[in-house]
Amino acid sequence: MQVYKLCLKIIKKNIPVMLIYIFIYLSVSIVVTLSSSRQNNTGNDFTDTKANIAFISGEETPLIEGLRKELGRQANFINLPDKKEAQQDALFFREVVYILRIPEGFTQKFMAGEEVHLEKNSVPDSAKAAYIDLAVDQYLNTARFFLSTMGDVTQESLVKYLDDVLSQEADVKLMPAPAKTDVYGLVFSYNYMAYSLSSILVLGMAAIMAAFNNRDLRNRVSCSPVRETAANLQIFLASLTFAGVAWLTQIAFCFFFDIENVLTMNTVYLLLNSLVFTVCGTAMGFLIGSVVKGNEAISAVTNVVVLGSCFISGVFVPAQLLGETTLRIASFTPTYWFVKANNQAAQLTQFDLSSVRLVLSDTAVIVCFALAFFALSLVIRKVRRFS
Amino acid sequence: MFVHIFANRLRCLLRDRETMFWTFMFPLALALFFYMSLSNVGKGEAFQEIDVAVVNDSWYQENQFFRTALEEASRGDDRLFNLTLATGEEARKLLDDGKIKGYIIAGDPPQLIVNESGIYQSIIKSFLDNYTQTFRAVEKVLENDPRIYQEVFDSLGNRKNYVKEAPAAGGKPDNLVYYFYTLIAMACMYGSFFGMREATDIQADITPLAARINIAPVHKLKAFLSSTCAALLIHLSEMMILLAFIRYVLNIDFGPRAGYVLLTTVIGSITGVFFGAFVSAVVKKSEGIKVGILIGVTMIGSCLAGMMYIDMKYIILSKNLPFLYWTNPVNLLSDAFYCLYYFDNLNRYALNIGALSCITVLFCALTYLFIRRRKYASL
Repeated sequence: MQVYKLCLKIIKKNIPVMLIYIFIYLSVSIVVTLSSSRQNNTGNDFTDTKANIAFISGEETPLIEGLRKELGRQANFINLPDKKEAQQDALFFREVVYILRIPEGFTQKFMAGEEVHLEKNSVPDSAKAAYIDLAVDQYLNTARFFLSTMGDVTQESLVKYLDDVLSQEADVKLMPAPAKTDVYGLVFSYNYMAYSLSSILVLGMAAIMAAFNNRDLRNRVSCSPVRETAANLQIFLASLTFAGVAWLTQIAFCFFFDIENVLTMNTVYLLLNSLVFTVCGTAMGFLIGSVVKGNEAISAVTNVVVLGSCFISGVFVPAQLLGETTLRIASFTPTYWFVKANNQAAQLTQFDLSSVRLVLSDTAVIVCFALAFFALSLVIRKVRRFS
Repeated sequence: MFVHIFANRLRCLLRDRETMFWTFMFPLALALFFYMSLSNVGKGEAFQEIDVAVVNDSWYQENQFFRTALEEASRGDDRLFNLTLATGEEARKLLDDGKIKGYIIAGDPPQLIVNESGIYQSIIKSFLDNYTQTFRAVEKVLENDPRIYQEVFDSLGNRKNYVKEAPAAGGKPDNLVYYFYTLIAMACMYGSFFGMREATDIQADITPLAARINIAPVHKLKAFLSSTCAALLIHLSEMMILLAFIRYVLNIDFGPRAGYVLLTTVIGSITGVFFGAFVSAVVKKSEGIKVGILIGVTMIGSCLAGMMYIDMKYIILSKNLPFLYWTNPVNLLSDAFYCLYYFDNLNRYALNIGALSCITVLFCALTYLFIRRRKYASL
């Protein structure tokens, strides 16, 4: 089993580089897990979305105080320093999505029926800005309605009327969703595997292949008493061992980050997908190793191929936020089908054949990619041998 | 002699395909990937008309005010809703299939059926709240004085928009452009690969090529500066192509001050090259370790500057780690680009460039101190 041992030695030599990818995977997964656990879990009741806004008032009057109280139902108030630059920064980096400024003397002019406006800086055309606009306009339009129809009203009694009227709410019923909708957070640890696992597999496989592409080494193996078939079989076994260990390590981390769903049927399909994807990643490594010469070139090609496919397939950015053209291009990579299959597997609530058919058909596409990569590399190797 | 070393070094560096890949092709590819994956993300934040259904029952048909309010909100270019009339069962199916965000059952109060909480569901609810509240306000006024019926309805039709967008002093708050700025900053720092080569190839105890250069009758500093100029020229050319690609092909906005953008890139490129030279002069280890340090420092710097997660810069670096904010060249560079795009004044930009220039001068001085007058008794 000398060839087998040699392959494992090559892999061992590359472990430090592979650990970088594990480290990246762990860091990103921790960040995503922490940020998704911060998101509100609404349970069975509907909760109003709250937008982060800055409320900067040049005056303190009962009317403005009432507006602030009313907006509290739709907004979280964020205190920002009284510096224009800091406020602009907060808007750019989305600490707030809306800065509402009430000019001095607003209440007096409003009560006198003059034409007045509030100022805002907001994320242009955003849904949250529209939401806050709706609330501010409702408050002031209702106030104006009372002023114009009830004659002489003091500010205090106006606020009292507003308080009474604006406490009316529509009835909202939250139905159980037929499918889980927060798919990105749910399968992130599995989807992100497309980056770390395929990088590791491609690096490892390509390193083995690059070593055996060395002419002297190839000649040495050819003149040894080991038959070519046996040598190839040993390379195959070593690849299998390597891929298996890489898959198990990665799966262990996935279980760790998604511990509450480990015993569900969804996980079975996620595991099946990842196993098939591991085979595909190995075949891709085999292909890159057959085509590319030199360790430096392998690292360059791995980075571009793996990073690129992850960017456009919905690993780093949720697939629903990607453009149609991008997704169409991505569909020429196995990563796209892996992410799609994972997203569908995570949404399954029924496990009859018609429900799982979509997941399995995506998995089948990954198998086809694996076969194509493998066949292509065999052809390339054969052509090279005779050239 | 300067021209001779410069020209030969230029050819040498251009033939180094690995360095050319990491400093030129990789940032270009990354910019393209950023563009493909991020160009649509902003639309997730933008308001889109909400698909909503209303149950077309007798209550809805008979309640003219409610029907008018809903139809008004579903009309025109700046409408809130794309409204569908449906039976109860159809509406439920549309909701289950994800074709609508929710459906409304007219009544007093109206009822909204949704299957998740979210901004669009909250906007529908706000609209229904507003209707209920307005209805209640009318009741209250008419309770007080039933004779002013006509005045009340005239006043109702007189709704205004009370909030106006204040004129922006600089660029739009489109934070996706920032990712491209961090990418350019990272690419500037990748110039360190060139700097590393220059410092390595002038230290006779590290490479045989450096030993050969050292016995040539050329002043060491002159040889180093000539070859560093060649490295700088190549890296600057790469950066200009990257900048042009991001600006004109990917259409990323840099604000109106093109001259300052170029100046920032030039300073960034010099910082990157001398950072590499500094590391190579200080660290007396193998090339692999030096490359590891350069990539490690650049990637950690990029990560802290918000390249992977924008909150990393704003929440962690700006607010909690001021020392790292001012000593991280990737952050200073990307913040300089950000200031040029977003602010109307140059105060913060000047601070960034000042700090970056200090760091660059420090790298240059330390490299010089480490390399100068080094003699070798035996190699």
